Amino acid sequence: MQRRTFLQGVGLAAIASTAGCTQLGSGETESSVGVAGETLTLTTTTSTYDTGLLDEIHPDFEEMYGVTVDAVAQGTGAALETARNGDSDVVMVHARGLEDEFMRNGYGINRRDLMFNDFVIVGPGDDPAGIQGTDSATEALRAIAESESTFVSRGDNSGTHTKELNLWAAAGVEPGGDWYQEIGAGMGEALNNANQQDAYTLSDRGTFISQRSEIDLTILVQGPIEGGPEILANPYGILAVNPGVHENANYDLAMAYIGWITGPGAQDAIADYEMNGEQLFYPRALSEDPDFQQYVPEGWSSDSDSE
Amino acid sequence: MMRLRNLSHSYGDEAVVDDVSLSIDQGEVVGVIGPSGVGKTTLLRLLSLFLEPDAGTVELDGDAVWEADEDERLALRRQVGMVFQDASLFDATVARNVEYGLRVRQPWRERLRDQLRSLVAARRLPGPVGRGLDAVGLRDPLQARVRSLVGTTEPPEAVTDALGVVGLDHKLDQQARSLSGGEAQRVSFARALAYEPDYLLLDEPTSDLDPRNTGLIEAAIGEARDRGIGVVVATHDMHQAERIADRVGVLLGDGFTEIGPTERIFEDPSDERTRKFISGELVY
Amino acid sequence: MPLDPVAPLLPLFVEFPFRDGYVRSIVYVSLYVSCTAVVLSTLFSIPVALVMGFTEFPGKQFVKSVINTGMGFPSVVVGLLVLFAVSNQGPLGAMNLIFTKEAMIISQFVLATPPITAISLAAVTGVDENVREAARALGGTRLDVALVVIKEARYGIATAVLAGFGRAISEVGSVLIVGGNITSADGISQTRTLTTAIQLEARQGQYDTAMLLGAVLVVLVLTVNAIVVRFGDAGSMNR
Repeated sequence: MQRRTFLQGVGLAAIASTAGCTQLGSGETESSVGVAGETLTLTTTTSTYDTGLLDEIHPDFEEMYGVTVDAVAQGTGAALETARNGDSDVVMVHARGLEDEFMRNGYGINRRDLMFNDFVIVGPGDDPAGIQGTDSATEALRAIAESESTFVSRGDNSGTHTKELNLWAAAGVEPGGDWYQEIGAGMGEALNNANQQDAYTLSDRGTFISQRSEIDLTILVQGPIEGGPEILANPYGILAVNPGVHENANYDLAMAYIGWITGPGAQDAIADYEMNGEQLFYPRALSEDPDFQQYVPEGWSSDSDSE
Repeated sequence: MMRLRNLSHSYGDEAVVDDVSLSIDQGEVVGVIGPSGVGKTTLLRLLSLFLEPDAGTVELDGDAVWEADEDERLALRRQVGMVFQDASLFDATVARNVEYGLRVRQPWRERLRDQLRSLVAARRLPGPVGRGLDAVGLRDPLQARVRSLVGTTEPPEAVTDALGVVGLDHKLDQQARSLSGGEAQRVSFARALAYEPDYLLLDEPTSDLDPRNTGLIEAAIGEARDRGIGVVVATHDMHQAERIADRVGVLLGDGFTEIGPTERIFEDPSDERTRKFISGELVY
Repeated sequence: MPLDPVAPLLPLFVEFPFRDGYVRSIVYVSLYVSCTAVVLSTLFSIPVALVMGFTEFPGKQFVKSVINTGMGFPSVVVGLLVLFAVSNQGPLGAMNLIFTKEAMIISQFVLATPPITAISLAAVTGVDENVREAARALGGTRLDVALVVIKEARYGIATAVLAGFGRAISEVGSVLIVGGNITSADGISQTRTLTTAIQLEARQGQYDTAMLLGAVLVVLVLTVNAIVVRFGDAGSMNR
């Protein structure tokens, strides 16, 4: 017992002596880092969680640092709100506009691009709105609105929902009427719902792939991964809760996590994660070329490939 | 000796008991007669120390009850037993009912052990577990072992004795709910007798009973007197009072019109109202 | 209740399309959270019911109407209120309860207490006054009288506990909000209950596994009912 107290003293001294830098790698001799035994609360979206990606890659992180990750799947809006209240340490979401607002208001720091996949517009095989083969997502939505074909909207302020609303705005259509149904549910339920009533919906590719075998819907407008329009890109970002705003936020562990998940090992694991033989997520944190774009807010761009 | 001095009690503005004095010796039966609604029950509640009088004193063997502190009063209260018109048995076996007065006098440690004992004694091990143990012939030895660990489940002698007085010592393990009205009232009497109070108060104890059960209760009252208990029986049945009481108090209006030896009250009442009540001329 | 309630569960554990220990751990979390909350609620409710039943005090009608309103209180609203309380911004924020079983126990406690109190109150006030008088006349203290009342009202109180347990274990809204539906990466539940697991399966469109978990939940509730009923039977045979 005395020995442990002594070692903790040494650890504290070591931390103090390296103040200003990260403490990782120093600290007690009994565990590899100063964060061992702690718990990281990650709020994230249903799409990363429900596809099983996090369960697949997290054991590696937990083992390496001797920590626990509590992943709470909430949808982008709720995940950011939880973080805003200081109830999580790190946030993994996919709605760049909301993320930037969160950062600008000072709640988050050290946002990094993490990975991406894309959205697809799916619908019944007989395609009553005739959108198959359209290479413009906005054209397709306009066609759906004009034919008043049933469209299922998540309606839950999630990243996918935000993207869908942005698409309608870009298409210059204000959706409404009996054909447009906001169901306030997760992606899996939305796909099932659309399947039941032969409706169209916007889905992230990952969830669609994981559920494809059970539903009759097909992809009618592809996203950028399969050569579709860039507007359907679905980039995921990760950011730490600002310990200057919420002092109980576990910033050290959050940064360890961000460092780990944007590192080569985890990025490879993301690339290797497959469901039904298909890759669900494409790593984006590493690039052979310097990619300064991830350090600046949306809109600042040296080229034109932003969403 | 239990003594009431100038006791008064009223509900609201109405004095129910007004300036009443009465003393009860151990080993005597005092009958309180009077028409219903005259305050017999209130008087008994005052005697049982349930009710604090508005005025006057209650003494138990020289101790002024309502001047004593809480603990002393509990000890005094525990010298007095009461049987109600309604048997008011607990939903449990006859033995557990009659034991109750003894149980509450025990220290908590003992009471907890007793509770455990009664659980072990009454329960056979439940369904699948019990059947499994039965199949390998272990259930009975196991339960016997547990019982020997927690101790005996035989009811105390005072319980069987008190039930013997009312002729029900063969019904120890019967559920109180399954008793007839007469049997229930006799158990209720035994329950009050079991912890050997110094004074026993009975409020219309036989008003709902058939003659046979009435006779058994009256015999039990005699037995209680012979054991040195001071008994007060409130009854609207003058003949019952005449049969069992050594002394009788006649409660008419809000106080006793007369208290005296049974024979004299019935043969030669000195008070005019008493005479009219006993002869049946005074009808309430 | 001769049916052995555990036997039909066993094959389900074997056939589940989940990782080892997953179902077991969510069953454990469900039971742990609900049972703890119900035990705490019962310990709180019975004295309250006794006081409400047998004493007069100012504001009693108000307390009564609060309890009755509480019975119909939407669980999601309770979840939100508990979230505000335990969130880092809230009054209990310093205790770091958000997304823990303890937070779930708090919200289940708030949900289970009104029905347990209300039904216990009905049960204890239903106890014959003569029985209370008898306990007192036999030398019982106020505590002894209270214990007699509890014993006499045991069936009603068992019903109350069951109602509270039923509300707690089948509740999904508040435990999702304050618990976060968390499993650790090895698939062992931290704050995931059967109900939130069912909700998760449904969200993913996995209705058949959701149904399986639903069956486990139903079996669990029936089992607990059977145990409590059995306990009530046991109680009637002695005392």
